[in-house]
Amino acid sequence: MIQTVAWITSLVFMLLITFIFLFVAMKSTEKREYEPIKKKWYKARTFYGITLVVFMLIITIYTLRELPYDQPVYGKGEDPTIVEVEALQFGWELSQSEFKVGEAIEFHVSSQDVNHGFGLYDEEMNMIAQTQAMPEYTNVVYLTFTEPGTYGVLCLEYCGLAHHAMTYQITVTN
Amino acid sequence: MVHNRLIRNYLIIGGTVILLMMGFGILMLLAQGGVLSLSPPSFYQYMTIHGTGMIGAAALAASAVMWYFLSQHVTLSKNIFKANLVLFLTGLVLVIIGVFSFDYASAWTFLYPLPTLSAKAWGTVGALLYLFGMLIIGIGFLLLFIDTGRAIIKKKGSLAKGLGWDVIAGKKAEKDAPEPAIIAGTMVAIVNVTALIAGATVIMMNIIHTVNPSFTFDPLLAKNLTFAFGHVFANSIIYMSVIVVYELLAKYTNRPWKANKVFLIAWSMSTIFTLMIYTHHMLMDSVMPKWMLIIGQVFSYANGLPVLIVTAYGALMIVYKSGIKWDMASGLAFLSMFGWTVGVVPAIIDATIVVNHVMHNTKWVPGHFHMYMGLGAVVMIFAFMYYLAKVDGGLKVTKLDWIAFFSYIVTMAAVSIQFLVSGALSTPRRWATHIPEWMGPALFGGIAGVFLVIATTLFIVHFVRYILQRNVKRNDLYDEKLV
Repeated sequence: MIQTVAWITSLVFMLLITFIFLFVAMKSTEKREYEPIKKKWYKARTFYGITLVVFMLIITIYTLRELPYDQPVYGKGEDPTIVEVEALQFGWELSQSEFKVGEAIEFHVSSQDVNHGFGLYDEEMNMIAQTQAMPEYTNVVYLTFTEPGTYGVLCLEYCGLAHHAMTYQITVTN
Repeated sequence: MVHNRLIRNYLIIGGTVILLMMGFGILMLLAQGGVLSLSPPSFYQYMTIHGTGMIGAAALAASAVMWYFLSQHVTLSKNIFKANLVLFLTGLVLVIIGVFSFDYASAWTFLYPLPTLSAKAWGTVGALLYLFGMLIIGIGFLLLFIDTGRAIIKKKGSLAKGLGWDVIAGKKAEKDAPEPAIIAGTMVAIVNVTALIAGATVIMMNIIHTVNPSFTFDPLLAKNLTFAFGHVFANSIIYMSVIVVYELLAKYTNRPWKANKVFLIAWSMSTIFTLMIYTHHMLMDSVMPKWMLIIGQVFSYANGLPVLIVTAYGALMIVYKSGIKWDMASGLAFLSMFGWTVGVVPAIIDATIVVNHVMHNTKWVPGHFHMYMGLGAVVMIFAFMYYLAKVDGGLKVTKLDWIAFFSYIVTMAAVSIQFLVSGALSTPRRWATHIPEWMGPALFGGIAGVFLVIATTLFIVHFVRYILQRNVKRNDLYDEKLV
């Protein structure tokens, strides 16, 4: 699950940074000449900087391979189910709300009034996909459900005083 | 020395508003945690005032930090500095009336056409009061940053020279590079004048639409302008405040922290990237040109480099085995660099498009910016407050201040981490109510927030003691005092 990977990755790097700052704070009360320290640290920075840039480049290339905007999950010649999604204060209108496992779906999401967020949640309330619901524009979410169950649609862009009540249910069967 | 009374007014207003806004934050977390009954309209009003107040107050106090150090190198207009404070307070009053008397609650990001289309929750008057309030605050800051740019151009010849491009190009020696305060001031003048023009544009469009709903404009353009304003302006707070870190750590360690080519390149990168990366707020708008969204990810990563490789690294290097004498000011300055660095991590993670797809607008986002602002930018402001109280007022700290220091670290980290945990659990942000599975972290954050407010109150009390001092010969010349 992406959320878990994001959390663990963040935690590892945040702990690493904490450790480095604590280490330097502990060493701060010793007093040494600055010039040799500077020389050594500048040398180390070149290595650290290059490593960081290369690491970020690799992650960038890896994560940009498949973007959610342009990855229909169905093969050529297969017709997806197009679902028209309209948001309005404070509810959802979907042209279809019952789906099959393995069915290729395109949610075409728009809004009749203000900005909303179309967030799809599984039964454990983990978010599995989202897009913005905007007036005058249509954003697309590509999705194929892999598990049967009751899925939730939650509003993820603040849209007014009943924003938190703007939910909807989708049923996915085998 | 440099108009300290005005600086003190900026800081005490900024600091006090930040403290009050923390109170609203606690109420929201306790309501989400299920232990406080708060009606949704109240919750969203608190949310609106919390965001607006925090960003406004932090920007106000940060601009005082910048003004204090920058005015030691260039001639800034005191009248404009005064006018900004007056306009800020005027705008703040309008915002407060709009929110609390006219039920306005669009969040400080006010995405068009929400200010007008509230499902009749608030009326035209509330929207206009809030929008005009924001416009007035924006005009004050716009004048301030135009004046900042003007003063730098007058001294250095151009903004490019303020960023040290002549040094980067080799036309000037590194030893003649601009002072860090000038470099930061130049960067902030460039990005904030741009951001505030974008903000003023979208606010005026919203105002016209509110008065005459038949006047409409493109919602996607409005969203771009809103985030171009909001992201850049909020970001600039740390770039103004960090000047205090350069100044303090260099003084306290007795080691020079001067600009060299790498430093200058880093600040130029920050200038460009800060302007470019607001699109990472729009990664879930697939109708945006794809290249703009990819830029949002790529340059959000790249924007981490100047701080990770240059600024934070420089802070660590200057402190390492320096024999530094820790006091509240230097301790907070060092802490703020930690907060900035550590807060960059969840930001970079969330700027990754595939991650954003399942984490955008969850509580992960406030997790990042509470860490970045609460442990970074705002701590820089507190560092400056303690510094000024020490060098200008000769005020000594007590054990209570140190208790507040460590309490602040623990509780601010707790507040930030509970947001991140909530984000990892897919808890949506800006929800007045939570299902039971989401309540735990919010309740934990609310309780931590209570202790955070106590710690922050002690910081503010120390500064108030400094302001109220009588019969003290004020002199903030640190070097002179050392002698």
